[in-house]
Amino acid sequence: MSAKLDTYRNAAAVRNRLLTYVSLALLAIFLYIADAFGTEYEIRILINCAIFIALAVSYNLINGVTGQFSLAPNAFAAVGAYTSALLTMSPLEKQLSFIIEPVIWPLSVIHTPFLVSLIIAGLVTAFMGFLMGFPVFRVRGDYLAIVTLGFGEVVRVIANNTQSITNGPLGLKGIANHTDIAWSWGFAVFTVFFVVRLVRSSYGLALKAIRYDESAAEAVGIDAFWHKMFAFILSAFFGGIGGGLLAHLITTISPNLFTFFLTFNLLIIIVLGGLGSTTGAVIAAVAVTIGSELLRFFEEPMNIGGIHIPGIPGMRMVIFSFLLVILMIYARRGLMGTDEFSWQRAIDFLRRYKKGNPE
Amino acid sequence: MTFFACENLTMRFGGLTAVSEFNLSLNEGEIVGLIGPNGAGKTTVFNMIAGYYRPSEGKIIFKKRRLDGMKANRINKLGVARTFQNIRLFSELSVVENVLIAHHGHLKSSFIEAVLRTPRYRKEEDGIREHALNLLKEVGLAESADDQSGSLPYGKQRRLEIARALATRPKLLLLDEPAAGMNPSETMELLELLLRLRKEYGLTLFVIEHDMKFIMRICERMKVLDYGITIAEGTPSEIQKDPRVIEAYLGEV
Repeated sequence: MSAKLDTYRNAAAVRNRLLTYVSLALLAIFLYIADAFGTEYEIRILINCAIFIALAVSYNLINGVTGQFSLAPNAFAAVGAYTSALLTMSPLEKQLSFIIEPVIWPLSVIHTPFLVSLIIAGLVTAFMGFLMGFPVFRVRGDYLAIVTLGFGEVVRVIANNTQSITNGPLGLKGIANHTDIAWSWGFAVFTVFFVVRLVRSSYGLALKAIRYDESAAEAVGIDAFWHKMFAFILSAFFGGIGGGLLAHLITTISPNLFTFFLTFNLLIIIVLGGLGSTTGAVIAAVAVTIGSELLRFFEEPMNIGGIHIPGIPGMRMVIFSFLLVILMIYARRGLMGTDEFSWQRAIDFLRRYKKGNPE
Repeated sequence: MTFFACENLTMRFGGLTAVSEFNLSLNEGEIVGLIGPNGAGKTTVFNMIAGYYRPSEGKIIFKKRRLDGMKANRINKLGVARTFQNIRLFSELSVVENVLIAHHGHLKSSFIEAVLRTPRYRKEEDGIREHALNLLKEVGLAESADDQSGSLPYGKQRRLEIARALATRPKLLLLDEPAAGMNPSETMELLELLLRLRKEYGLTLFVIEHDMKFIMRICERMKVLDYGITIAEGTPSEIQKDPRVIEAYLGEV
């Protein structure tokens, strides 16, 4: 009986793994075709989707899974973007860019390949997350949100004022355009894989325990402080690499690129997807990235029943906010709540649907 | 060697002294009760022992180690587990997940191994799962393993909290009103369960309880707190006759 159950479980596991590989292959084929035949605009949206998937999924690890309301992802992205850009720019490019004050010594000579730069960007950001974590996790809830919000501003102000490191308000220009479909989606898939595996493991359970009841988690031997640090540092690592990819997509970065608006966008994504759900974060990242492009339609001039409406810049954000309000009224827990996608669930759902008996 | 001792434990909140000069010494394997009227400071004693409050004065010694001032999770790892007066399960998670979580403090694999699902990690995870299911069987919750823990009836939630505490492999278990809200037959089941668990796991129990029938039957010794002051201690039959205890509970006669 139990042996039978075991073989059944194993068969299901093999099937699920196959389904995962097949869908990854389909995704790869789709991306390959899109890369070959898509317009530059379409490709750019796809790359943005991938970067926002990675940023949202890693942000969700600290905000959703661990339940610590951090508002720092823009700080992480900024640090990652600057670190990686300063590493991939050649010494000559840096010399030409830094016109007010020359770039300081080690940075003036270091020049590393893209992959190495991204990894270093991730590590530097993770280290910053580690340092930030000490003051941040002395407080909880709203206070934690305010402290992390403050750090976001601190990073921006530092970037503006350290002329010889970040080139100040002039920003960095002429960063090589390395970020393509392969880099961005490769990173997105890696991030999702890592986070999903982590959340399913004992570590993920510990993080959830902290989210649900921190005191009870400590009562069963979980070091709440270091686990929060752990989630925060990981989130910083992925956020830093995401920022690095953004920098090598936009090719020009300045301190004002990483304002609270970026955090706000990510927050919308993870709340929309359902705080704590990686699946939700992925779906919402794609939906918001593509959706906000589709909504550009509302900024064009149009004729309705003979009345000419001139294009209003920013109109899409109004409509976007409106849609969000509706969503939050009717689906307060987001699209997925705290649920995750699994093949078993999808198959069960399809079976029930086939029988003409959904739910 | 004393197994566990509190020496002159005092807790002050501003001007209020919640517990004053509390002394206790437990031998290994003993069951000792702590009773007293509401607000007497019983849970405060637990919170000090379990690391939730830092005592204003006094020492807590467990197996020659000072526990006072240590963080709650470290105290748990050293072998002191607790349950809560107002059940604090991770109610959104399943029954078995609640017990699995409690193994995390002793997990040896790193997060990298967990993400890569290395053979060592998988073996450890299988072991933890088996242990968790055994504990559920022990407390009679094997059938509910996959149910949402918050949806369990009250008595079962109490037992799940005990299973979760046991999963951390304690030597000393602090139970804060384990029989609260239980009917008489559930209370008797709990009594048998606790006696069995003590034997099986070599536990020492320190129990807060209002149910006098229960506490008089389970404890070998007990202490009585009133307004943070220890007013009596002794065997259950001695306590029952003690005039100060009767006064504390019933008022001056």
